[in-house]
Amino acid sequence: MQIYLPIAEMTVPVESIFLLGTFVGFLSGVFGIGGGFLATPFLIFMGIPPAVAVGTQANQLVAASFSGMMAHWRKGNVDVQMGSVMMAGGLVGSLIGIFVFKMLQVLGQIDFIISILYVLFLGTVGLLMLYESFFSFFKKKTVRSEFNSQKLSPFFMALPYKMRFPRSKLYISALVPAGIGFLGGLMVSIMGIGGGFLLVPAMIYVLGMPTLLVAGTSLFQIIFTSAFAAVMHAVANHTLDMVLAILLISGGVIGARAGASVSRTITGAHARIILAILVLTVCTQLGAQLFIRPAELYSTVVRK
Amino acid sequence: MKVLAAALFIAFSFASYAQAQEKVLTIDLAKNTVDISAGFTGSDLVLFGVKKGPGHVAVVIQGPKKDMVVRRKENAMGLWFNRHGLEFEDVPVYYDYALSAPVDKMGGEEALRKNGIGLDSLTFKPDMWRDDPAYSQNFQEGLIRNKQAEGLFPLKPKEVTFLDDDFFRATFYMPSNVPTGRYEVHSYLIRNGAVADVRTTELNVGQVGMEARIHKFARKQSFTYGVLCVAMAVLAGWAANMIRRRD
Repeated sequence: MQIYLPIAEMTVPVESIFLLGTFVGFLSGVFGIGGGFLATPFLIFMGIPPAVAVGTQANQLVAASFSGMMAHWRKGNVDVQMGSVMMAGGLVGSLIGIFVFKMLQVLGQIDFIISILYVLFLGTVGLLMLYESFFSFFKKKTVRSEFNSQKLSPFFMALPYKMRFPRSKLYISALVPAGIGFLGGLMVSIMGIGGGFLLVPAMIYVLGMPTLLVAGTSLFQIIFTSAFAAVMHAVANHTLDMVLAILLISGGVIGARAGASVSRTITGAHARIILAILVLTVCTQLGAQLFIRPAELYSTVVRK
Repeated sequence: MKVLAAALFIAFSFASYAQAQEKVLTIDLAKNTVDISAGFTGSDLVLFGVKKGPGHVAVVIQGPKKDMVVRRKENAMGLWFNRHGLEFEDVPVYYDYALSAPVDKMGGEEALRKNGIGLDSLTFKPDMWRDDPAYSQNFQEGLIRNKQAEGLFPLKPKEVTFLDDDFFRATFYMPSNVPTGRYEVHSYLIRNGAVADVRTTELNVGQVGMEARIHKFARKQSFTYGVLCVAMAVLAGWAANMIRRRD
């Protein structure tokens, strides 16, 4: 069945979009990730304009992060104060990201920059994950447990606006979490991903937050940052497609349920290896496009 | 529906044919709107016409004109990315044409081009003046290839078919990615390589129904629209969590 997307102004097969949503929801159910890193490139592969893919994906992230955050909230694993400081940085980051996105679009470099950023991020994360999961798979222990109580580096300690975060048992400059949130905001607006895979390690290794609170707190701030980015994309660029969003989200709800039941039957190390391979496949696919001579060198866009 | 429209048109056109003796060409579209609804996968567009006396017929259909940026990918440090660009003004977003005879029987390519028929007749005006005509030419050819790949420019002319000596039909196809807007349809009666008569009619390509309402909402009240989409996402997230919890 085909459906016409009123904002993207094109026809797409309903089944493929719904399946993509289900698959992404499934991943978030199994791994507790937003899945934006898969959905956005796939939407672009399908011929949906990158701007619409990113704008609509920001909206899908609201659903995924809200659902994930609720589970952590119930267990009390959200540091609202820390999340709010990160969110302040995240809103600024996503606002700037919207303008950077628009500027890159005018310059005709948006596709290239999105691809490059994806290749760099996915390549790094995928390799790290593969390395780590192989390690833990054979040694039967987590590699990074010894880093958990790491202190901030002297540079971060010297920053002003110190603040107490009783829930995380930290006394640090508010600029550090706000800066991490800022990076997350940029990623939501430019790449259409929540950036949890970057925020989570940064919160553990840079802020030194208790591991238990990290996932819930990062999801907490992603909800607000991605909601803000979605509305901004709708207002400034008109690139939020409601029909596409409904298809992705309804698929996501079903996928998340299936993913949650599967997550109880597979071990962490296995799951991480599968995820790492998936991440590296998307990375290779995007990377190849950058290095192989395209069949058609010319491309045409209507100037808005 | 189509059959009825055609029948009505035949009746109508013969009636008017009798009345307007000085008119040598009469045309009409079977339907002068292309409605893009939720299930839109492209649409045929049928034009009927009657000519009086000898001559060949050409039909040109042209979408609204927009400024277009053409970019060329180049290799630097092993990477392929857009390096140079050229902007063309007033390029129709859609163009197609149909002829009743091969090009040389209609007065040759040059005559057709002069009368604004065929892809070669489109004047692509670069926004910057360049010393090197080959440079603009390459970008212009790139633009045409891009539009052809999207199905918005023709690879070759369509055929105008005669149902009898005077009554003709031309069928065009609008793909699912057809841009919205006001389209113009020009029909030419060509005698000995010169245009004897031109008729123009308009065509509206637009979204209808639910799709049109969403599109309008997103444009007119973009903030409310954005907030509504986000609210929907929150609700879905909440629902997903509730389902998971129940297990």
